[in-house]
Amino acid sequence: MTLCTVAALATIVLVGAQIVLPGKALYHYGWYNVAIAGMAVIVVVAARAPLRSARTRALRAGIAAIVFGSAIAAVAGIASGLFGPENQQVIGSPAQRVSVEGLGTLVFPLGVATAGDDAGVQLLRPLHAPLEISTRSGNLGNFVARSIVRTVVEIDAQDAFGNRLTITQPSGRSFLSPVLLMEHRQTIAGFALPFDSFNLPAAHRIVKAVLFSAAEAAMLQRGTEAPAVLFAVDDENDRPLSHGIGLAASGRRIRLGGLQLRAVVGAFPAVELVSAPNLVAAIAGALLVVCSTTFIALQRRRARYG
Amino acid sequence: MYRYLPWLVLAVGVTLIATVFEPMFATRAVKSGPQGFAGQAAPVFALQDDRGSTVSLDAYRHRIVVMNLWASWCPPCREEMPDLQRLAERYGARGVAVVGVNEGESVERARAFAASLRIRFPIWIDSAERYGRVYGALGLPTTVILNGEGVVIRGFDGPLTFDQMEAAASAALHGS
Repeated sequence: MTLCTVAALATIVLVGAQIVLPGKALYHYGWYNVAIAGMAVIVVVAARAPLRSARTRALRAGIAAIVFGSAIAAVAGIASGLFGPENQQVIGSPAQRVSVEGLGTLVFPLGVATAGDDAGVQLLRPLHAPLEISTRSGNLGNFVARSIVRTVVEIDAQDAFGNRLTITQPSGRSFLSPVLLMEHRQTIAGFALPFDSFNLPAAHRIVKAVLFSAAEAAMLQRGTEAPAVLFAVDDENDRPLSHGIGLAASGRRIRLGGLQLRAVVGAFPAVELVSAPNLVAAIAGALLVVCSTTFIALQRRRARYG
Repeated sequence: MYRYLPWLVLAVGVTLIATVFEPMFATRAVKSGPQGFAGQAAPVFALQDDRGSTVSLDAYRHRIVVMNLWASWCPPCREEMPDLQRLAERYGARGVAVVGVNEGESVERARAFAASLRIRFPIWIDSAERYGRVYGALGLPTTVILNGEGVVIRGFDGPLTFDQMEAAASAALHGS
Protein backbone atom coordinates (compact mmCIF):
# COMPACT_ATOMS: atom_id res chain seq x y z
CA MET A 1 0.00 0.00 0.00
CA THR A 2 1.46 3.32 -1.04
CA LEU A 3 0.76 6.66 0.63
CA CYS A 4 -1.32 7.62 -2.42
CA THR A 5 -3.60 4.58 -2.00
CA VAL A 6 -3.93 5.04 1.75
CA ALA A 7 -4.88 8.71 1.37
CA ALA A 8 -7.34 7.88 -1.43
CA LEU A 9 -9.02 5.23 0.72
CA ALA A 10 -9.12 7.64 3.67
CA THR A 11 -10.86 10.21 1.43
CA ILE A 12 -13.43 7.60 0.46
CA VAL A 13 -13.99 6.64 4.12
CA LEU A 14 -14.48 10.29 5.18
CA VAL A 15 -16.97 10.93 2.37
CA GLY A 16 -18.63 7.53 2.79
CA ALA A 17 -19.26 8.31 6.46
CA GLN A 18 -21.38 11.30 5.35
CA ILE A 19 -23.59 8.94 3.35
CA VAL A 20 -23.71 5.96 5.73
CA LEU A 21 -24.24 8.05 8.88
CA PRO A 22 -25.96 11.18 7.54
CA GLY A 23 -26.96 14.21 9.55
CA LYS A 24 -23.99 14.57 11.94
CA ALA A 25 -23.09 18.17 12.72
CA LEU A 26 -19.37 17.49 12.40
CA TYR A 27 -19.67 17.12 8.61
CA HIS A 28 -20.32 20.86 8.43
CA TYR A 29 -17.28 21.69 10.60
CA GLY A 30 -14.38 23.31 8.80
CA TRP A 31 -11.79 20.83 10.06
CA TYR A 32 -13.71 17.84 8.68
CA ASN A 33 -13.77 19.38 5.22
CA VAL A 34 -10.13 20.45 5.53
CA ALA A 35 -9.32 16.80 6.36
CA ILE A 36 -11.08 15.62 3.18
CA ALA A 37 -9.34 18.27 1.08
CA GLY A 38 -6.01 17.44 2.78
CA MET A 39 -6.37 13.76 1.94
CA ALA A 40 -7.17 14.61 -1.68
CA VAL A 41 -4.08 16.86 -1.86
CA ILE A 42 -1.92 14.08 -0.38
CA VAL A 43 -3.27 11.72 -3.08
CA VAL A 44 -2.26 14.17 -5.82
CA VAL A 45 1.19 14.88 -4.36
CA ALA A 46 1.93 11.23 -3.51
CA ALA A 47 0.82 10.09 -6.96
CA ARG A 48 3.40 12.17 -8.82
CA ALA A 49 6.39 9.86 -8.17
CA PRO A 50 4.57 6.57 -9.00
CA LEU A 51 3.14 8.21 -12.14
CA ARG A 52 6.65 9.09 -13.31
CA SER A 53 8.13 5.70 -12.45
CA ALA A 54 5.25 3.58 -13.80
CA ARG A 55 6.55 1.33 -16.56
CA THR A 56 3.34 0.72 -18.42
CA ARG A 57 0.51 2.92 -19.64
CA ALA A 58 -1.91 0.67 -17.78
CA LEU A 59 -0.25 1.41 -14.45
CA ARG A 60 -0.18 5.13 -15.20
CA ALA A 61 -3.86 5.10 -16.10
CA GLY A 62 -4.63 3.20 -12.90
CA ILE A 63 -2.80 5.76 -10.75
CA ALA A 64 -4.53 8.61 -12.59
CA ALA A 65 -7.86 6.93 -11.93
CA ILE A 66 -7.08 6.79 -8.19
CA VAL A 67 -6.32 10.52 -8.23
CA PHE A 68 -9.51 11.33 -10.12
CA GLY A 69 -11.62 9.01 -8.03
CA SER A 70 -10.51 10.54 -4.77
CA ALA A 71 -10.84 14.08 -6.23
CA ILE A 72 -14.43 13.42 -7.33
CA ALA A 73 -15.36 11.94 -3.95
CA ALA A 74 -13.65 14.84 -2.16
CA VAL A 75 -15.53 17.42 -4.23
CA ALA A 76 -18.83 15.65 -3.46
CA GLY A 77 -17.99 15.49 0.25
CA ILE A 78 -16.85 19.09 0.55
CA ALA A 79 -19.77 20.40 -1.55
CA SER A 80 -22.12 18.73 0.90
CA GLY A 81 -20.18 19.62 4.05
CA LEU A 82 -19.39 23.25 3.28
CA PHE A 83 -22.08 24.35 0.84
CA GLY A 84 -24.89 21.96 1.79
CA PRO A 85 -27.51 23.35 4.19
CA GLU A 86 -27.72 22.35 7.84
CA ASN A 87 -30.21 19.63 8.75
CA GLN A 88 -33.69 21.05 8.36
CA GLN A 89 -37.31 20.17 8.84
CA VAL A 90 -39.48 21.52 6.05
CA ILE A 91 -42.98 22.23 7.28
CA GLY A 92 -45.72 23.18 4.86
CA SER A 93 -49.42 23.77 5.09
CA PRO A 94 -51.91 21.69 3.07
CA ALA A 95 -51.39 22.15 -0.69
CA GLN A 96 -48.42 24.47 -0.10
CA ARG A 97 -45.48 24.35 -2.51
CA VAL A 98 -42.12 24.93 -0.86
CA SER A 99 -38.96 25.46 -2.87
CA VAL A 100 -35.79 23.95 -1.37
CA GLU A 101 -32.52 25.16 -2.86
CA GLY A 102 -30.50 22.36 -4.38
CA LEU A 103 -33.38 19.89 -4.15
CA GLY A 104 -36.56 21.03 -5.92
CA THR A 105 -40.12 21.90 -4.97
CA LEU A 106 -41.94 20.04 -2.22
CA VAL A 107 -45.70 19.84 -2.72
CA PHE A 108 -47.65 19.11 0.44
CA PRO A 109 -50.90 17.13 0.29
CA LEU A 110 -54.23 18.93 0.28
CA GLY A 111 -55.79 17.35 3.32
CA VAL A 112 -55.02 16.12 6.80
CA ALA A 113 -54.53 12.37 7.08
CA THR A 114 -57.11 10.26 8.79
CA ALA A 115 -56.38 6.74 10.09
CA GLY A 116 -54.81 4.59 7.38
CA ASP A 117 -54.75 7.40 4.83
CA ASP A 118 -51.35 9.04 4.79
CA ALA A 119 -50.96 11.19 1.71
CA GLY A 120 -47.31 12.05 1.25
CA VAL A 121 -45.23 14.99 0.18
CA GLN A 122 -44.26 15.04 -3.48
CA LEU A 123 -40.93 16.25 -4.78
CA LEU A 124 -40.88 18.00 -8.15
CA ARG A 125 -37.51 18.41 -9.85
CA PRO A 126 -36.59 19.54 -13.35
CA LEU A 127 -35.98 16.54 -15.66
CA HIS A 128 -37.24 14.07 -13.04
CA ALA A 129 -40.57 12.31 -12.56
CA PRO A 130 -42.50 13.45 -9.44
CA LEU A 131 -41.37 11.49 -6.43
CA GLU A 132 -43.22 10.85 -3.18
CA ILE A 133 -40.99 11.25 -0.12
CA SER A 134 -41.37 8.12 1.99
CA THR A 135 -40.96 7.62 5.71
CA ARG A 136 -37.75 5.69 5.05
CA SER A 137 -34.66 7.78 4.46
CA GLY A 138 -33.92 8.05 0.77
CA ASN A 139 -30.98 9.59 -1.04
CA LEU A 140 -32.04 12.35 -3.42
CA GLY A 141 -28.82 13.43 -5.08
CA ASN A 142 -27.38 15.94 -2.62
CA PHE A 143 -29.85 15.22 0.19
CA VAL A 144 -31.10 12.40 2.33
CA ALA A 145 -34.80 12.95 2.89
CA ARG A 146 -37.57 11.29 4.83
CA SER A 147 -41.14 12.10 5.59
CA ILE A 148 -42.17 12.49 9.21
CA VAL A 149 -45.61 12.93 10.71
CA ARG A 150 -46.59 16.00 12.71
CA THR A 151 -49.72 16.52 14.74
CA VAL A 152 -51.97 19.25 13.36
CA VAL A 153 -55.45 20.50 14.18
CA GLU A 154 -58.24 20.99 11.64
CA ILE A 155 -60.80 23.59 12.68
CA ASP A 156 -64.46 23.96 11.85
CA ALA A 157 -65.92 27.29 12.99
CA GLN A 158 -69.53 28.47 12.96
CA ASP A 159 -71.32 31.45 14.38
CA ALA A 160 -74.00 31.11 17.07
CA PHE A 161 -76.61 30.37 14.37
CA GLY A 162 -74.63 27.58 12.77
CA ASN A 163 -73.34 29.57 9.78
CA ARG A 164 -69.93 28.36 8.72
CA LEU A 165 -67.16 30.97 8.99
CA THR A 166 -64.07 31.49 6.86
CA ILE A 167 -60.89 30.64 8.76
CA THR A 168 -57.84 32.72 7.95
CA GLN A 169 -54.29 32.55 9.25
CA PRO A 170 -52.67 35.94 8.52
CA SER A 171 -49.44 34.90 10.25
CA GLY A 172 -49.55 31.26 9.13
CA ARG A 173 -47.93 29.57 6.15
CA SER A 174 -51.25 29.67 4.26
CA PHE A 175 -53.65 32.58 4.52
CA LEU A 176 -56.70 30.48 3.73
CA SER A 177 -56.56 27.19 5.57
CA PRO A 178 -58.57 25.58 8.35
CA VAL A 179 -55.54 23.46 9.28
CA LEU A 180 -53.40 24.74 12.16
CA LEU A 181 -49.82 23.48 11.93
CA MET A 182 -49.18 24.03 15.66
CA GLU A 183 -45.59 25.14 15.07
CA HIS A 184 -45.29 27.36 18.14
CA ARG A 185 -45.01 26.45 21.82
CA GLN A 186 -46.88 27.87 24.77
CA THR A 187 -45.85 27.00 28.30
CA ILE A 188 -48.78 26.15 30.54
CA ALA A 189 -48.21 24.69 34.02
CA GLY A 190 -44.65 23.76 33.09
CA PHE A 191 -45.63 21.98 29.88
CA ALA A 192 -44.45 23.40 26.56
CA LEU A 193 -47.55 22.75 24.47
CA PRO A 194 -48.12 23.11 20.71
CA PHE A 195 -49.86 26.40 20.00
CA ASP A 196 -51.36 28.24 17.04
CA SER A 197 -54.01 30.85 16.29
CA PHE A 198 -56.50 31.76 13.59
CA ASN A 199 -58.85 34.58 12.67
CA LEU A 200 -62.58 34.56 11.96
CA PRO A 201 -62.94 37.87 10.08
CA ALA A 202 -66.70 37.58 9.61
CA ALA A 203 -67.18 37.29 13.40
CA HIS A 204 -64.36 39.75 14.25
CA ARG A 205 -62.71 37.14 16.44
CA ILE A 206 -59.15 35.87 16.95
CA VAL A 207 -58.91 32.37 18.40
CA LYS A 208 -55.87 30.86 20.06
CA ALA A 209 -55.57 27.08 20.19
CA VAL A 210 -53.34 25.03 22.49
CA LEU A 211 -53.02 21.30 21.85
CA PHE A 212 -53.04 18.79 24.70
CA SER A 213 -52.15 15.13 24.22
CA ALA A 214 -54.65 12.57 25.52
CA ALA A 215 -52.64 12.12 28.74
CA GLU A 216 -52.33 15.86 29.35
CA ALA A 217 -56.02 16.40 28.59
CA ALA A 218 -56.97 13.68 31.07
CA MET A 219 -55.08 15.57 33.79
CA LEU A 220 -57.08 18.71 33.02
CA GLN A 221 -60.48 17.16 32.55
CA ARG A 222 -61.41 13.83 34.06
CA GLY A 223 -62.85 11.35 31.61
CA THR A 224 -61.10 12.83 28.57
CA GLU A 225 -59.43 10.04 26.63
CA ALA A 226 -58.66 11.83 23.38
CA PRO A 227 -56.32 14.69 22.54
CA ALA A 228 -57.96 18.02 23.21
CA VAL A 229 -57.66 21.64 22.20
CA LEU A 230 -57.90 24.57 24.57
CA PHE A 231 -59.54 27.48 22.76
CA ALA A 232 -59.23 31.10 23.87
CA VAL A 233 -61.49 33.49 21.95
CA ASP A 234 -60.43 37.16 21.75
CA ASP A 235 -62.03 40.08 19.96
CA GLU A 236 -60.34 41.52 16.87
CA ASN A 237 -58.16 43.75 19.07
CA ASP A 238 -56.81 40.71 20.92
CA ARG A 239 -58.86 41.42 24.07
CA PRO A 240 -60.07 38.24 25.78
CA LEU A 241 -63.82 37.70 25.87
CA SER A 242 -65.69 36.56 28.94
CA HIS A 243 -66.64 32.88 28.71
CA GLY A 244 -64.17 32.68 25.85
CA ILE A 245 -61.94 29.88 27.13
CA GLY A 246 -62.76 26.19 26.93
CA LEU A 247 -61.30 22.74 26.35
CA ALA A 248 -62.74 20.58 23.57
CA ALA A 249 -61.83 16.96 22.97
CA SER A 250 -60.89 16.17 19.38
CA GLY A 251 -64.04 15.94 17.25
CA ARG A 252 -66.31 17.58 19.87
CA ARG A 253 -68.02 20.91 19.23
CA ILE A 254 -67.80 23.62 21.89
CA ARG A 255 -69.65 26.97 22.26
CA LEU A 256 -67.38 29.86 23.23
CA GLY A 257 -67.60 33.64 22.86
CA GLY A 258 -70.55 33.47 20.48
CA LEU A 259 -68.91 30.81 18.32
CA GLN A 260 -69.21 27.09 17.79
CA LEU A 261 -65.78 25.54 17.40
CA ARG A 262 -64.73 22.00 16.60
CA ALA A 263 -61.14 20.76 16.43
CA VAL A 264 -60.07 17.48 14.91
CA VAL A 265 -56.54 16.41 15.81
CA GLY A 266 -54.87 14.73 12.84
CA ALA A 267 -51.56 13.98 11.22
CA PHE A 268 -49.82 15.86 8.46
CA PRO A 269 -46.43 15.17 6.88
CA ALA A 270 -43.30 17.27 7.08
CA VAL A 271 -39.95 16.50 5.49
CA GLU A 272 -36.61 16.07 7.25
CA LEU A 273 -33.68 16.96 5.04
CA VAL A 274 -30.04 16.20 5.66
CA SER A 275 -27.44 17.23 3.13
CA ALA A 276 -25.28 14.35 1.89
CA PRO A 277 -22.60 13.95 -0.76
CA ASN A 278 -23.97 13.31 -4.23
CA LEU A 279 -24.48 9.55 -4.29
CA VAL A 280 -23.60 9.04 -7.97
CA ALA A 281 -20.37 11.04 -7.65
CA ALA A 282 -19.36 9.42 -4.36
CA ILE A 283 -19.99 5.87 -5.62
CA ALA A 284 -18.22 6.56 -8.91
CA GLY A 285 -15.25 8.05 -7.05
CA ALA A 286 -15.10 5.10 -4.66
CA LEU A 287 -15.34 2.60 -7.52
CA LEU A 288 -12.53 4.32 -9.41
CA VAL A 289 -10.28 4.21 -6.34
CA VAL A 290 -11.08 0.63 -5.32
CA CYS A 291 -10.98 -0.84 -8.84
CA SER A 292 -7.79 0.98 -9.76
CA THR A 293 -6.09 -0.02 -6.50
CA THR A 294 -7.01 -3.66 -7.13
CA PHE A 295 -5.89 -3.41 -10.75
CA ILE A 296 -2.53 -1.90 -9.80
CA ALA A 297 -1.98 -4.52 -7.10
CA LEU A 298 -2.67 -7.29 -9.61
CA GLN A 299 -0.36 -5.71 -12.20
CA ARG A 300 2.47 -5.42 -9.68
CA ARG A 301 1.94 -8.94 -8.47
CA ARG A 302 2.03 -10.22 -12.03
CA ALA A 303 5.23 -8.25 -12.71
CA ARG A 304 6.85 -9.54 -9.50
CA TYR A 305 6.00 -13.23 -10.00
CA GLY A 306 6.24 -13.23 -13.76
CA MET B 1 -6.34 2.12 -25.79
CA TYR B 2 -4.58 3.28 -22.59
CA ARG B 3 -3.65 6.47 -24.41
CA TYR B 4 -7.26 7.61 -24.24
CA LEU B 5 -7.96 6.34 -20.72
CA PRO B 6 -6.84 9.52 -18.86
CA TRP B 7 -9.13 11.57 -21.09
CA LEU B 8 -11.98 9.17 -20.42
CA VAL B 9 -11.34 9.44 -16.69
CA LEU B 10 -11.21 13.23 -17.01
CA ALA B 11 -14.53 13.29 -18.89
CA VAL B 12 -16.16 11.07 -16.26
CA GLY B 13 -14.74 13.30 -13.52
CA VAL B 14 -16.05 16.50 -15.07
CA THR B 15 -19.47 14.89 -15.57
CA LEU B 16 -19.61 13.77 -11.97
CA ILE B 17 -18.52 17.14 -10.62
CA ALA B 18 -21.23 18.73 -12.76
CA THR B 19 -23.68 16.21 -11.26
CA VAL B 20 -22.69 17.34 -7.76
CA PHE B 21 -23.22 21.03 -8.46
CA GLU B 22 -26.08 20.88 -10.98
CA PRO B 23 -28.98 20.79 -8.46
CA MET B 24 -27.64 23.92 -6.76
CA PHE B 25 -28.31 25.86 -9.97
CA ALA B 26 -31.29 23.92 -11.30
CA THR B 27 -33.72 24.76 -8.50
CA ARG B 28 -36.08 27.58 -9.30
CA ALA B 29 -37.84 29.48 -6.54
CA VAL B 30 -41.60 28.98 -6.54
CA LYS B 31 -43.57 32.20 -6.90
CA SER B 32 -45.88 32.65 -3.97
CA GLY B 33 -49.58 33.26 -4.43
CA PRO B 34 -51.78 32.55 -7.42
CA GLN B 35 -49.19 33.86 -9.94
CA GLY B 36 -47.05 30.81 -9.14
CA PHE B 37 -49.69 28.56 -10.72
CA ALA B 38 -49.45 30.04 -14.22
CA GLY B 39 -48.86 27.34 -16.81
CA GLN B 40 -50.13 24.51 -14.64
CA ALA B 41 -53.33 22.51 -14.91
CA ALA B 42 -55.97 23.92 -12.60
CA PRO B 43 -57.02 21.54 -9.84
CA VAL B 44 -60.61 20.35 -10.15
CA PHE B 45 -62.76 19.78 -7.09
CA ALA B 46 -66.40 18.82 -7.04
CA LEU B 47 -68.17 21.58 -5.10
CA GLN B 48 -71.77 22.60 -4.44
CA ASP B 49 -73.20 25.78 -5.87
CA ASP B 50 -75.46 28.13 -3.93
CA ARG B 51 -78.51 26.10 -5.05
CA GLY B 52 -77.08 22.80 -3.80
CA SER B 53 -76.12 21.34 -7.19
CA THR B 54 -72.78 19.61 -7.67
CA VAL B 55 -70.50 21.65 -9.89
CA SER B 56 -66.99 21.29 -11.26
CA LEU B 57 -64.56 23.07 -13.56
CA ASP B 58 -64.76 20.06 -15.88
CA ALA B 59 -68.03 21.48 -17.23
CA TYR B 60 -66.17 24.60 -18.40
CA ARG B 61 -63.70 23.01 -20.79
CA HIS B 62 -63.30 24.98 -24.05
CA ARG B 63 -64.22 28.23 -22.29
CA ILE B 64 -62.08 30.87 -20.67
CA VAL B 65 -62.85 30.81 -16.95
CA VAL B 66 -62.41 33.80 -14.65
CA MET B 67 -62.44 32.19 -11.21
CA ASN B 68 -62.83 34.64 -8.37
CA LEU B 69 -62.29 33.55 -4.77
CA TRP B 70 -64.24 35.71 -2.34
CA ALA B 71 -65.92 35.93 1.04
CA SER B 72 -68.79 38.10 2.29
CA TRP B 73 -66.72 39.71 5.06
CA CYS B 74 -64.14 41.02 2.60
CA PRO B 75 -64.85 44.67 1.56
CA PRO B 76 -62.70 44.59 -1.63
CA CYS B 77 -64.62 41.46 -2.72
CA ARG B 78 -67.89 43.38 -2.39
CA GLU B 79 -66.48 46.27 -4.45
CA GLU B 80 -65.21 43.94 -7.17
CA MET B 81 -68.36 41.85 -7.59
CA PRO B 82 -70.41 44.28 -9.76
CA ASP B 83 -67.48 44.54 -12.19
CA LEU B 84 -67.28 40.75 -12.41
CA GLN B 85 -71.01 40.70 -13.21
CA ARG B 86 -70.39 43.30 -15.95
CA LEU B 87 -67.56 41.17 -17.33
CA ALA B 88 -69.80 38.08 -17.33
CA GLU B 89 -72.49 39.98 -19.26
CA ARG B 90 -70.14 41.56 -21.78
CA TYR B 91 -67.95 38.53 -22.48
CA GLY B 92 -70.29 35.59 -21.75
CA ALA B 93 -71.35 35.25 -25.38
CA ARG B 94 -67.69 35.31 -26.47
CA GLY B 95 -66.79 32.27 -24.41
CA VAL B 96 -65.75 33.76 -21.08
CA ALA B 97 -67.34 32.28 -17.96
CA VAL B 98 -67.12 34.01 -14.59
CA VAL B 99 -67.34 31.80 -11.50
CA GLY B 100 -67.38 33.12 -7.95
CA VAL B 101 -66.03 30.70 -5.37
CA ASN B 102 -66.99 31.50 -1.81
CA GLU B 103 -64.25 30.53 0.62
CA GLY B 104 -65.33 28.89 3.83
CA GLU B 105 -68.80 30.27 4.40
CA SER B 106 -72.26 28.77 4.52
CA VAL B 107 -74.54 28.52 1.48
CA GLU B 108 -77.08 30.89 3.03
CA ARG B 109 -74.55 33.63 3.62
CA ALA B 110 -73.10 33.31 0.10
CA ARG B 111 -76.55 33.32 -1.48
CA ALA B 112 -77.66 36.39 0.51
CA PHE B 113 -74.48 38.24 -0.42
CA ALA B 114 -74.87 37.44 -4.14
CA ALA B 115 -78.55 38.42 -4.06
CA SER B 116 -77.77 41.75 -2.37
CA LEU B 117 -75.43 42.64 -5.26
CA ARG B 118 -77.66 41.10 -7.97
CA ILE B 119 -74.98 38.66 -9.00
CA ARG B 120 -76.16 36.20 -11.64
CA PHE B 121 -72.95 34.37 -12.49
CA PRO B 122 -72.49 30.97 -10.80
CA ILE B 123 -71.59 31.04 -7.11
CA TRP B 124 -69.81 27.96 -5.78
CA ILE B 125 -69.29 27.08 -2.14
CA ASP B 126 -65.78 25.94 -1.18
CA SER B 127 -66.47 25.25 2.48
CA ALA B 128 -63.10 23.55 3.11
CA GLU B 129 -61.22 26.47 1.46
CA ARG B 130 -59.56 24.02 -0.92
CA TYR B 131 -59.14 26.41 -3.85
CA GLY B 132 -57.74 29.02 -1.47
CA ARG B 133 -55.17 26.52 -0.21
CA VAL B 134 -54.20 25.16 -3.61
CA TYR B 135 -53.75 28.58 -5.22
CA GLY B 136 -51.84 29.81 -2.19
CA ALA B 137 -54.19 32.77 -1.84
CA LEU B 138 -52.39 35.58 -0.04
CA GLY B 139 -55.69 37.25 0.75
CA LEU B 140 -59.14 37.81 -0.71
CA PRO B 141 -60.19 38.43 -3.38
CA THR B 142 -57.98 36.20 -5.51
CA THR B 143 -58.65 35.76 -9.22
CA VAL B 144 -57.37 33.02 -11.48
CA ILE B 145 -57.88 32.86 -15.25
CA LEU B 146 -57.98 29.47 -16.96
CA ASN B 147 -57.82 28.72 -20.66
CA GLY B 148 -60.07 26.29 -22.53
CA GLU B 149 -57.83 23.36 -21.61
CA GLY B 150 -58.15 24.07 -17.92
CA VAL B 151 -54.64 25.50 -17.61
CA VAL B 152 -54.03 28.53 -15.40
CA ILE B 153 -53.00 31.49 -17.54
CA ARG B 154 -52.74 34.17 -14.89
CA GLY B 155 -53.35 34.68 -11.21
CA PHE B 156 -54.14 37.92 -9.44
CA ASP B 157 -53.80 38.71 -5.78
CA GLY B 158 -56.19 41.43 -4.62
CA PRO B 159 -59.07 43.27 -6.29
CA LEU B 160 -59.10 44.06 -10.01
CA THR B 161 -60.58 47.03 -11.80
CA PHE B 162 -62.96 46.41 -14.69
CA ASP B 163 -60.25 47.49 -17.15
CA GLN B 164 -57.83 44.94 -15.70
CA MET B 165 -60.47 42.21 -15.90
CA GLU B 166 -61.32 43.13 -19.47
CA ALA B 167 -57.66 43.21 -20.51
CA ALA B 168 -57.02 39.80 -18.94
CA ALA B 169 -60.14 38.28 -20.50
CA SER B 170 -59.31 39.71 -23.95
CA ALA B 171 -55.74 38.43 -23.73
CA ALA B 172 -57.01 34.99 -22.73
CA LEU B 173 -59.47 34.95 -25.65
CA HIS B 174 -56.72 35.89 -28.08
CA GLY B 175 -54.36 33.34 -26.57
CA SER B 176 -51.67 35.78 -25.50
